[in-house]
Amino acid sequence: MNPTLSSRPFMSALRWLVFAIAVVVLNFPVIATLVTSLKSDAEISSNASLIIEDPTLDNYAAIFAMADRFDILHYLMNSLVASLIGSALAIGLAFPAAYAMARFKTGRSWLLPLAVNLRAVPLIIFAIPIYLMYQQVGLLDTRLGLAFIFALVNIPLVLVLFTSAIAELPFEIEEAARVDGASTLRLIWHVVLPMSLNVVAASSVLAFIYSWNEFLFGLMLTTSRATPISVGASFFFAASGGGVRWGVAAAVMILATLPPLLLGLLMYRQIGRSMTAGAVKG
Amino acid sequence: MERQTILQGRVLITPLTAFLIALLGFPLLLDLVYSVSRVGFENIRAPELSGLGNYAKALADPEFWAAAWFSLRFGVIVASIQVVAGLMLAIFLAPLFAARPWLIAFLMLPMMVAPALVGLMYRLILHEFVGAVPYYLLEWYGDFPAFLGRQWVFTTLVVIETLQWTPFALLILHSAYAAISPDVREAAALDGATGFRQLVSIDLPLMLPAIGVTAFIRFIDSFRVFDNIYTLVGSGAGGSTTSMSIYIYQAFFKVGDIGLAVAASMLLLAASFVVLWTINRLTARRDPA
Repeated sequence: MNPTLSSRPFMSALRWLVFAIAVVVLNFPVIATLVTSLKSDAEISSNASLIIEDPTLDNYAAIFAMADRFDILHYLMNSLVASLIGSALAIGLAFPAAYAMARFKTGRSWLLPLAVNLRAVPLIIFAIPIYLMYQQVGLLDTRLGLAFIFALVNIPLVLVLFTSAIAELPFEIEEAARVDGASTLRLIWHVVLPMSLNVVAASSVLAFIYSWNEFLFGLMLTTSRATPISVGASFFFAASGGGVRWGVAAAVMILATLPPLLLGLLMYRQIGRSMTAGAVKG
Repeated sequence: MERQTILQGRVLITPLTAFLIALLGFPLLLDLVYSVSRVGFENIRAPELSGLGNYAKALADPEFWAAAWFSLRFGVIVASIQVVAGLMLAIFLAPLFAARPWLIAFLMLPMMVAPALVGLMYRLILHEFVGAVPYYLLEWYGDFPAFLGRQWVFTTLVVIETLQWTPFALLILHSAYAAISPDVREAAALDGATGFRQLVSIDLPLMLPAIGVTAFIRFIDSFRVFDNIYTLVGSGAGGSTTSMSIYIYQAFFKVGDIGLAVAASMLLLAASFVVLWTINRLTARRDPA
């Protein structure tokens, strides 16, 4: 590479320009929604531009005033609880299995490919029988039922991440612990898990985000009690007398997007690494 | 010791296996039985076997084929655009990311937003009176298309999907690009290879596996698209945006034809297997480390 000296600042400026445009264009839906959420109803109908003349937080207050019809705290809580349980479950099920696959080669030839290929199968295929099954066992419209699905959605990715992370750990430490008489379970809990904490943390965050954002099963398997925010947010588009209250709807979407967005911003490095590893090793 | 190891391994994979059997194996069995039965919500517990009628019905349904064609076309088009756009951004912006890795966080944000919410956001942004996009198009061009009308809705969905998931392609391709050893480039530079020549002869060939994986993941994810289409347009202008997932959902929830929905599911599963099998064959030479 031999760029002339004069072209360097120019190229650098051009790169910054392209970067800035990409950031704005790619994040445009969130930016425009945020802007709308900060406008009054009157301003929304008179000024659709991205400039806010008279910023207000009224829309955010209005969401909570509508709690008797659309209880946003309830939807947020459903998403929070089901996502936490679902992520924990995915990790709790996948970690020991990943250890067995990485160290004992158990199930490597069938369980790993099965779980990994699951990533490529449209889950709608299982949605109808799961609906019927849930109906039978009373899991329909429950947070636990939703959590099971969230775990299922995340298992392919966490399993791949754990299996390759454990395979890369130095085996000597485990051998030493084994010589000292540690059982396999103790070994996993006290030696392997602490050494894999980075991967476990990143996978948890990623699993939480994916769970929070899951929609299809929330739509199919809940009606009111366990409605997650991804589904509940659309209720605010229901016409209420004078049509959609765009400002309120925008505020709801911002609140619903904030948790995954903040997690993503805080942990971008770990998440990015996990996504890349998951893609390449999957 | 050896036998004990095998036993321990089995114990460790049992919870996961049991979970997958309960949540996938059993439903799959139900799918199979229902797909060859005459079944509706009224006789859901006692479906009567009816042979392959449901499959014949699905295969004879023009809407089924329209949905399959929509998903295939949508998947191929958006995956191609995302890979090309992601590749161009990854390579062009590589010097920026090398000096300031945190910049990439701002480009990753779209992936953190629920596709269902993205669909809802576009209902607002594209709205003819309150939406920012029509506002600026009107300002600058004096006109805007009916984004969700029959003529434009496919393009609109392609753009939405592309804007949300190009960051994924960018991320994967960026790390593949960054992983190329500087030695290789230096050696090529010493031999007189210019920037473009390096790109074509060194970078792109070395990135080929990553490009393939990215294209594959983006294709399968877009092929099963549901959330954003559902929240933005429902089944869309005259069914013109019915993906396979939406077709199955509607056959079940709106029409109540469980047999048809389940038969379509099984056909979709078969199609997934064909795709997976092909990909596995193509990548068979890569040792599954």
